[in-house]
Amino acid sequence: MRKLILVWMLAVYAASGWAQVTFPRNDVKDERERAFAFTNATIVTDYQTIFTNGVMLIRDGKIEYVGDSRAVPAGYTVIDVQGKYIYPSLIDIYTTYGVPKAERPKGSRWRGAEQIEPKTKGAYNANDAIKSDYSAAENFSIDTKKAEALRKAGFGTVNTFHADGLARGTSAFVTLGEDSENNVLLNEHAAAHYSFNTGSSTQNYPVSTMGFIALLRQTYLDAEWYGRQNPRPFKDQALEHWLLSQSLPQIFAARNWLEVLRADKLGDEFGVQYIIKGSGDEYKRLTEIKATNATLIVPVNFPDAYEVDDPIDAMDVSLADMKHWELAPTNLAALYRAGVNFAITTADLAKPADFWPNLRKAIANGLPQQAALKALTYTPANLLGEYGQVGSLAKGKLANFIITSEQLFADKTIIHENWVQGNRFVLKPLSVADNRGKYDLSLGNTVYKVKITGEPGKQKARIEVNDSTNIDLTTKFAKEILTASFKPAGGDGLVRLSGWRTHNGWKGTGKLADGSDVTWTLVRTGDVQPKEKKGKEGDKPQVPDLGEVIYPFVAYGAPTLPQQQTILFKNATVWTSDEAGVLENTDVLLKEGKIAQIGKNLSATGARVIDASGKHLTPGIIDEHSHIGATSINDVATNSGMVRIGDVIDPEQINIYRALSGGVVALQILHGSANPIGGQSALIKLRWGESPEKMKIAGADGFIKFALGENVKRSRNPSSIRFPQTRMGVEQAFMDAFSSAKAYEQKWQAYNALPKKAKAKAVPPRRDLADEAMLEIIKGERFISCHSYVQSEINMLMKVAERFGFRVNTFTHILEGYKVADIMREHGAGASTFSDWWAYKWEVRYAIPYNATIMHDAGVTVAINSDDANQIRRLNQEAAKSVKYGGMSEEEALKMVTINPAKLLHLDDHMGSITVGKDADVVLWSGHPLSVYSIAEKTLVDGKVYYDLEQDRARREYIRAERARLIQKMKEAKKNGSRTRKGKSKQKLDFHCDDITYDSFLE
Amino acid sequence: MKINYILSVLLSACLSWAAAQVPEPAAEQTQAILLKGGIAHLGNGEVIDNSLIAFDQGIITLVADATKARIDIAGYTIIDVTGQHVYPGFILPNSQVGIEEVSSVRAMSDSRETGRFNPNVRSLVSYNTDSELPPTFRFMGILLAETTPVGGVISGTSSLMNLDGWNWEDAVNTADLAIHMNWPGRITGRFDFATFTFSRKPNKNYANEVAEIAAFFDDALAYGALAAKERNLKLEAMQGLFDGSKVLMIHTNGPKEIVESVKMAQAKGVEHIAVVTGTGALAVKEFLADNNIPAVIQRVHSLPDRADMDVDLPYRLPVELTRAGVKVALSHTGMLALARNLPFYAGTAVAYGLDKEEALKLITLNTAEILGVGNKMGSLKEGKQANLFVSRGDALDFRTNKLTHAYIQGREIILNGRQEALFERYTKKYSNE
Repeated sequence: MRKLILVWMLAVYAASGWAQVTFPRNDVKDERERAFAFTNATIVTDYQTIFTNGVMLIRDGKIEYVGDSRAVPAGYTVIDVQGKYIYPSLIDIYTTYGVPKAERPKGSRWRGAEQIEPKTKGAYNANDAIKSDYSAAENFSIDTKKAEALRKAGFGTVNTFHADGLARGTSAFVTLGEDSENNVLLNEHAAAHYSFNTGSSTQNYPVSTMGFIALLRQTYLDAEWYGRQNPRPFKDQALEHWLLSQSLPQIFAARNWLEVLRADKLGDEFGVQYIIKGSGDEYKRLTEIKATNATLIVPVNFPDAYEVDDPIDAMDVSLADMKHWELAPTNLAALYRAGVNFAITTADLAKPADFWPNLRKAIANGLPQQAALKALTYTPANLLGEYGQVGSLAKGKLANFIITSEQLFADKTIIHENWVQGNRFVLKPLSVADNRGKYDLSLGNTVYKVKITGEPGKQKARIEVNDSTNIDLTTKFAKEILTASFKPAGGDGLVRLSGWRTHNGWKGTGKLADGSDVTWTLVRTGDVQPKEKKGKEGDKPQVPDLGEVIYPFVAYGAPTLPQQQTILFKNATVWTSDEAGVLENTDVLLKEGKIAQIGKNLSATGARVIDASGKHLTPGIIDEHSHIGATSINDVATNSGMVRIGDVIDPEQINIYRALSGGVVALQILHGSANPIGGQSALIKLRWGESPEKMKIAGADGFIKFALGENVKRSRNPSSIRFPQTRMGVEQAFMDAFSSAKAYEQKWQAYNALPKKAKAKAVPPRRDLADEAMLEIIKGERFISCHSYVQSEINMLMKVAERFGFRVNTFTHILEGYKVADIMREHGAGASTFSDWWAYKWEVRYAIPYNATIMHDAGVTVAINSDDANQIRRLNQEAAKSVKYGGMSEEEALKMVTINPAKLLHLDDHMGSITVGKDADVVLWSGHPLSVYSIAEKTLVDGKVYYDLEQDRARREYIRAERARLIQKMKEAKKNGSRTRKGKSKQKLDFHCDDITYDSFLE
Repeated sequence: MKINYILSVLLSACLSWAAAQVPEPAAEQTQAILLKGGIAHLGNGEVIDNSLIAFDQGIITLVADATKARIDIAGYTIIDVTGQHVYPGFILPNSQVGIEEVSSVRAMSDSRETGRFNPNVRSLVSYNTDSELPPTFRFMGILLAETTPVGGVISGTSSLMNLDGWNWEDAVNTADLAIHMNWPGRITGRFDFATFTFSRKPNKNYANEVAEIAAFFDDALAYGALAAKERNLKLEAMQGLFDGSKVLMIHTNGPKEIVESVKMAQAKGVEHIAVVTGTGALAVKEFLADNNIPAVIQRVHSLPDRADMDVDLPYRLPVELTRAGVKVALSHTGMLALARNLPFYAGTAVAYGLDKEEALKLITLNTAEILGVGNKMGSLKEGKQANLFVSRGDALDFRTNKLTHAYIQGREIILNGRQEALFERYTKKYSNE
């Protein structure tokens, strides 16, 4: 492999200078030195070094000398850049310049036959989204229009890649020159690119971010296994290139801060530190972003203000969007202050011309100029290993530089010229003559007093008749030629003049109004005194008045997270959900996140005492079956056991807060039910405002979703071809998965049993993430929660499990559990069901609201679940329905949403009841916890108050005030000429089991 | 207590019903009945703690305070309901009951006709009295429902059904009482199956769609005024809106849309207008109050429309609208089977600030009045239909909603259904183990 890299490097070296030599010639030989000297310049050679009055010599596209002033040897074209600045040209590490765009898949993938196999023809990967074989260089061609736009913004070289697929192949490092691809291509193996977007692939799996992660993980493992074998077990050119490109810089595209964290975590598993392209919202989670240690590539795509003039229409703009509008320009400054290393990119901009205004906005918001220059020169060059060629001005490097009118980041700086590999691109001419001054215009016998004012290039002339009367003199200055015209006072004809520059002004011929010829002179007589500008002091731009970052970054987030408190509830009716039953007039002390004491007349120094007289205290509600708090819920491979909800936790979903308002403290985020074997669950506590990893319940057992019935056999897609299509097939899908896992286990056992020497020589078996998940189930290390409705299939899965020697942990939904409750009890399965759902599809035709009661009475551990972001807020009420339907005792009913789900989730040793020593997860209710008339007043997790009625009122007030402030600010921005856009809030979906998201399209 | 409970359920199940069919419709009331001693919630805001409620031939003949009234009890079958609660039958508006069975199976849904303007389509004629849902609604005290077509711009004409009967003709309480119209949205929330995302975009076609509706109303008005004409079923069906015999139910959750749709209907001379709406109505609650436009709330137990909204806003909605002077009724949207929880929506309104008897109105008298049948039902009042039930406890709360008797037009209906039969069957199975 090392050999190949060397070959690549040689190829690069060869390509950069002499490629043209090999081309056929159709003329006499015409080679030129192209030697230039730049004198009297302020030269910023790199982000930390400045030469005032410096000299730079270039020849043949390379820098020969740069530094202090010195005599220019003969043979150079001298360009005097007095008063101007020279900077190394900028580098954009993240573009798709000159690389063809991939087609987005058309039509719906929701209906129609699934594409199970890859479509790519040839010896490529098993999945169309793995395009590591793609070479941007092979497909690169100069795009003069885009090159010009980028050069205008000061760029000289870019890294360019093909934005398609999870693995996107290798990028090319090219200059923005235009002479030939042979010359501009600097490195055809610049970096390897990845994303969470399957792009043009229409293959069935994967469709969700968690699936993308699983596929990338599996590909890392496959590549390693494949690479160990010579000869290869089969040919896969995508894997070959994957292996080759591992030594390149690895760049991962993330679409929000969550994806930055996800990408970094993925890399950590395989010892890869990605360079991560962010989205500009990293300020929302600086601590976690910083902890990745990743270098970021950050865009300056600040959103436009919204149209908020109409208060009713303004409701469509969320607080989060408004705050992001305000804070996005502070992102780079925040990253800088946090010490995060970053490069800046033009990516994601609505138009390239927004780059400089936005970058200056970032600087106005605290990004130091030096840091900006570093992020546009040194950092990208260094990340790509190209600092030897670009990123600063030094001997031997490419003559890639820009000439600017002032310091690069000053407000009105003009980029005059952009030189690429010694080729000059003039954007705005360096020397625009300054004709300012007082003149005498002699026209025949008449002499007019003329005054020319204004900045060079925008100068205006007028004839001063007397103190109060002026005549406009229309002028057009070319470098050496002047065209002018005016209407003399009193006359109505136009005098037209044309002339040339002289040593003291201009001279020429013209026509008077009557058409007669005239000669004229315009002779300079003195300077114009520039007007004093007034009121400078008060005009200074104010430090922007900004709102704070809130956690999470949505409505009901807060600038600070709740702290653990010592809390003493006095005189509550305490529903313990343990043997102690319901205790009247009882005190409960919470300390250090645990339930410290339960009893009468308790006291504790320093405790916050809450009078709970007339109120009820219950354990926090636990939902065994939820889909809130994750970016996606379903992937669609028949065995999706390798995908993990834990990879895609989204702590910014408002439904988490809403669930807290209904007394929920913890839940299982289950994979959906689109397949017999779904993904691995995440068990979280609703620690509103925390990072994804901190939401997870530490040390919790692993769970996995299984599913049966209509969803699994794709009943609502008549065109579906995916196996299985019947309940018979579903059984076989399970048999197959577990048989495969057993075989997998044997392979590894055989390998591990090899003598040391033999083992060293042998190729380890291929690791398979789905088999590993299945094996965990068989071994009792991972537990099934199975979506189920009708009795036949429920019984079937228990029999399959028994054949492989394990038990189904939980049947979830289990609407016909009442028909097989005795078998479930014998098997040892628990039940997590709906209270009263039925009739919404055929398989729930015989669902009855007595289900929970019957199963409970038959000795099954029963929980009531929500599967629904709406219903999760009323799980106590859902449990209460079993009092009506079947006469369950109130105490047992409440257990169905507290200790029983805790048992089903193996959390009951520290959660689910008000028992001394358990987690301080409790809810204070205004009244009887099973009554429709009661509401949750406080919800505590780990002894921290995450929801509180009064605090909720304060947050509403905060939302109101903050929205009002931001709306005012947007209106002012609009008045000051900012672009605006219509309010268009995107809704996060509220997931159910059946929902499949195509995360590639999520923005 | 548990055993007693099961026994009582078993007993009533055995007595009344055994086959795997919906309960047999009740026979006409032949015997005058007097409910004695119950706590009567009249539905108009009043309570009689110790009441006498009598009805004969389907009509309420007496509503009185037992501690004060003196009546001759001869001829009455007396039922002692001392300590129990007597309520007017709950009315479920805006429901697909009887015209939709299993929502995911196309063959089992008759609620959505094709086309955009279908006022002529009548839910009544496809109402299935053998639907398995009504027994589960009755079990909660919901005795009548407005069976309502959906889809298109004008979905069709609804009818108020007794949730008991041999066939639709026999089960109808009030035929063809409302026309339902879906007003276009200025912002369209589009769900894209190709990308499985949801986005809100301005509806560029809004003005055209509104103009089309207005033109339809104009055509209907002109048609009505013609002396001689070729029959037009669609325009004919609209006439009830102009002569006051039908209510126009406008479905919209947009504040500006509410104003624009109501003004359009008023301009066309529609006499009875109501909106079927959600939290969007709050921004224009004064408009609704000033114009005496009642509101049917789509679903109290729903999520706020936006992240920035008060977390409990949908729960509070009936309270906020009522306090603003809007007449409010509650309905249910979404999974049809869950409409049985209607009483608890009223309960939720209590939790968020409404007086219990006021909340009761939202599912009884207000609903009847909005549907134009307030003179016939909706409260316990002499002369009204004897649609009422008795519950062991507070019927708005889960633990205490336990019906012992229910009457539709004086006919005592069977409360237990298939779900209770299955409960009985499997309770027996496991108790024999």
